[in-house]
Amino acid sequence: MDRETIAKVAKVARLALTDEEMERYAQDLDAILNSFAVLDEAPASDTYALNPVPVVDVLREDEPAQEIDPQLLRGQMGTYEDYVRGPRLS
Amino acid sequence: MSAPSTYALIQYAQRRHLAFTETVDGLDEGRFHFSAKDNLCALGFQARAGSAVLEGYRPPFDATPIHRLKAAGGQLVGKTTMDEFGFGSFSTNSAHGVPLNPFDPDRSCGGSSGGAGAAACLIPGHIALGVSTGGSISGPASFCGVVGLTPTYGRVSRYGLIDYGNSLDKVGLLSRSAASIAQHFGTIAGPDPKDPTSCAQPPLAGKGRMPSSLALPREAMENLDPAVRKAFQGALPVLRGMGVAVEEVSMPSLRFALPAYYVLATSEASTNLARYCGMRFGRREEELNQHFNDFFTGVRSEGFGDEAKRRILLGTFCRMVGFRSRYYLKSLAVRQMLIGEYRRVFQEHDAVLTPTMPFLPPRFEDIRRMTPLEMYLADFLTIPPNLVGMPHVSVPCGYVDGLPVGMQVVADHWKEMDLLELAKGWEGAFLYTFPEVRP
Amino acid sequence: MKIGLEMHFQLPTRSKLFCPCPTAPAEPNHNICPVCLGYPGSRPSLNRKALEIGLGIAQFLDCRIEERVWFSRKTYFYPDLPKNFQITQYETPLGTDGRFELNGRSIGIWRVHLEEDPGRIRRVGRPGEEIAFVDYNRSGIPLVEIVTAPDLTSPEEARTFIDQLVIELRALCGLEAQDEQTVRVDANISVGEERVEVKNVQGLRNLERALRFEAGRQSKLIAAGKRVVRETRRFDEERKVTTSAREKETEEDYGYIGEPDLGEFRTGNMLRALDLKETPLARARRLVASYGIAEVTAKQLVLTSSRLTDLFEELCHHVPAERAVAWTTGPISGNWSTLQDQAIWPELVQIVKADAEGHINDIEAKRRILALAGVRQEEASGTEDDLSKLISDYIDAHPEVLADYRRNPKAANTVIGHAMKESRGRHSSKEVVEEVKRQMERRA
Repeated sequence: MDRETIAKVAKVARLALTDEEMERYAQDLDAILNSFAVLDEAPASDTYALNPVPVVDVLREDEPAQEIDPQLLRGQMGTYEDYVRGPRLS
Repeated sequence: MSAPSTYALIQYAQRRHLAFTETVDGLDEGRFHFSAKDNLCALGFQARAGSAVLEGYRPPFDATPIHRLKAAGGQLVGKTTMDEFGFGSFSTNSAHGVPLNPFDPDRSCGGSSGGAGAAACLIPGHIALGVSTGGSISGPASFCGVVGLTPTYGRVSRYGLIDYGNSLDKVGLLSRSAASIAQHFGTIAGPDPKDPTSCAQPPLAGKGRMPSSLALPREAMENLDPAVRKAFQGALPVLRGMGVAVEEVSMPSLRFALPAYYVLATSEASTNLARYCGMRFGRREEELNQHFNDFFTGVRSEGFGDEAKRRILLGTFCRMVGFRSRYYLKSLAVRQMLIGEYRRVFQEHDAVLTPTMPFLPPRFEDIRRMTPLEMYLADFLTIPPNLVGMPHVSVPCGYVDGLPVGMQVVADHWKEMDLLELAKGWEGAFLYTFPEVRP
Repeated sequence: MKIGLEMHFQLPTRSKLFCPCPTAPAEPNHNICPVCLGYPGSRPSLNRKALEIGLGIAQFLDCRIEERVWFSRKTYFYPDLPKNFQITQYETPLGTDGRFELNGRSIGIWRVHLEEDPGRIRRVGRPGEEIAFVDYNRSGIPLVEIVTAPDLTSPEEARTFIDQLVIELRALCGLEAQDEQTVRVDANISVGEERVEVKNVQGLRNLERALRFEAGRQSKLIAAGKRVVRETRRFDEERKVTTSAREKETEEDYGYIGEPDLGEFRTGNMLRALDLKETPLARARRLVASYGIAEVTAKQLVLTSSRLTDLFEELCHHVPAERAVAWTTGPISGNWSTLQDQAIWPELVQIVKADAEGHINDIEAKRRILALAGVRQEEASGTEDDLSKLISDYIDAHPEVLADYRRNPKAANTVIGHAMKESRGRHSSKEVVEEVKRQMERRA
């Protein structure tokens, strides 16, 4: 877990780290990932499941419905002419 | 002197032990009362999940378990303190106060449902909704000397639960007695179309069958504090006296559980936390006049705590190109392998028994000296059943120097009622003690 | 030249992909709920209809259908993405390795999968300083993504391909008219060796322009001996050129993981239960194969009306195909507004059959068909026989006109007047006048 990798991971995760933090997190992740090395001894698998219990074919019928008044949600978000204001694009 | 009112006890738990982030102004002493961990959404309260990024977030809906308890006549009396997003085993990673152990306020309540553990301990008859990802119900139950039920993954709807790990989170209950938990568990269990993972369950059994044969994996007895070992071994004759046999077994795959758990949990968490970027709910940065990457980065870097950042980094790494197979995909395979290991044991036994935590409730000054890895390793007993999504109950099984020690029983998927039978039987054979409360 | 397309079409469902919010057009931020806003505590549930439509499309495109499918999280940060991850299908697209027949050629289809649409950004402010204003109505709308092999050979062919695909998909699943708002395409185009990606082109007109421009740009570079840089470009709708895309330069690692909240789906059962509609062009191919009619005729039939084609097929059970073609494309289609009523088809079939078997002649058959159509015979489209009969009938009925004509040729005007009136413009005046004169002369 070198400095360059931590910097890349932080960028992907949109976290700005100070030099001290980079150093510290790099060390932490190094120790943690080393302890994870035991995973390499476990057998891999071609098929896998996303959940610990089977969750299969749970579907919702195509019926429009809105439980919560969208006006309440707009009010919560703070809108300008019904649009939600965001940051700059460039 | 008459017993203190529930309201007085709630205030006491809040003032002296920081069990709650918010409480109600009053309540009807005649109806049953419950609290909710602050990562469960409820109308009329903030839901901040122990984090600064959600400051001011007021959910426009009730989480399904809360909705169901209210519909059954329960009163939501407060939100309980927790580690940020569930990241922690001692509730010390909380942006809204660190809960103090009812048995000794210099010690931790455990985590991440620390406030729930404290509330359940201090307030008789109280039902605390907790959430477990890797042991966050069992740990506080053990450290706070109460009963904690972690149901099967998918037994209780997670709609309204602020996510840590979607394949690992479970909503459960903490209380002074298994009888209280058994009384209310059926209310929160059951399918909810808004949470598809809750729609795969078989119906909850009407009555459980008392487990008569428990398996004790020898791997669980390594690395224990002598005090815990002694208290736990003292419980075995009591179990036998109840007609419950305990037999030693070996579960060698348990050594893969902790890394697989942390890989999956942090991988899922790092995506769940991507939405906290100041765009809408919660912490809203007024400095919108920046490029969106700078804006997002600024909000996230200021709002997340230290442990949250560490887990986001770890989880992001484990999903990245070049590492994804070795960590994320491998851990999915390990989970299935461990389910197989438990099933093998359940062919010969009804349940698996271990201590809940490897040491007594630690002092805060000792926690400050722990490295992140040491903190992760503290969960080695609660992580395996949480990883495989099997139901488990933690009950007090001894007291050392006035501090509680818990033991944990794990059953196969969907067999919560069997566990509650055992827990109810246990509290008939073993007397719980609680700290004296003078509000 | 090699062109490959990655197309996104909105599916015609009434509710969104992962929540029951309506998909119908609405004012900004009116079709919203905690799920499609990505509120903490919310979670998705899959729209059955979207999965059915997606599977139908994958099967129609002759794909290998994945038996077990699930969804994945594609994590990246952008103001239109409520959760900062998109729920899509990564490891398990619904279908792979399919193809689409385009005018006799096979266009490879690499994959077909479902994903959710992000919100829509309205760019506000001066260029270079634009702010994002977000409308989440679009967030969570179901999309099908169809990715082709780079088998298309020109911008025109690419346009034809999508046009035909849309026709087929419209018939197959009711895909709405794909206008500027609802179809988005990423295109890969290489004139020479290097492949350039043109991302996020909205609408088919823009796609064609973008491809034409890019093909031209690359060709000029190659002709000048310069290198085409392998890169991502975007299409500037205003200036109608492609430009290097610097805005999203940040390299994202999407870090795909599964979406546990939705579980998994077994497609086999759903596929077997689906009633797959035959698309027009597939039907045309079948007509050619089954009845031996010309391809051009078959396409004319299916693109005119599927019901007319139904009648054609019905007729083919009773008469030779070329007879069915003649009657269907002739008087039947000419009077389709009344003849499309299926209640009268048995009678129609009998008429055509009688003609084919020689029991009646074609004039009589036509007369009967027109009668069935409720058309007064005089209004029928005129043939020469009709006109001459009309005239000779009148002359027979008015012998005094002939007598008058022998003395004065202008007596023909009476006949002409009558013939013009009765034929109601089915024949030109010149025709009428000539025929009247011809008959009068012959008889006089």
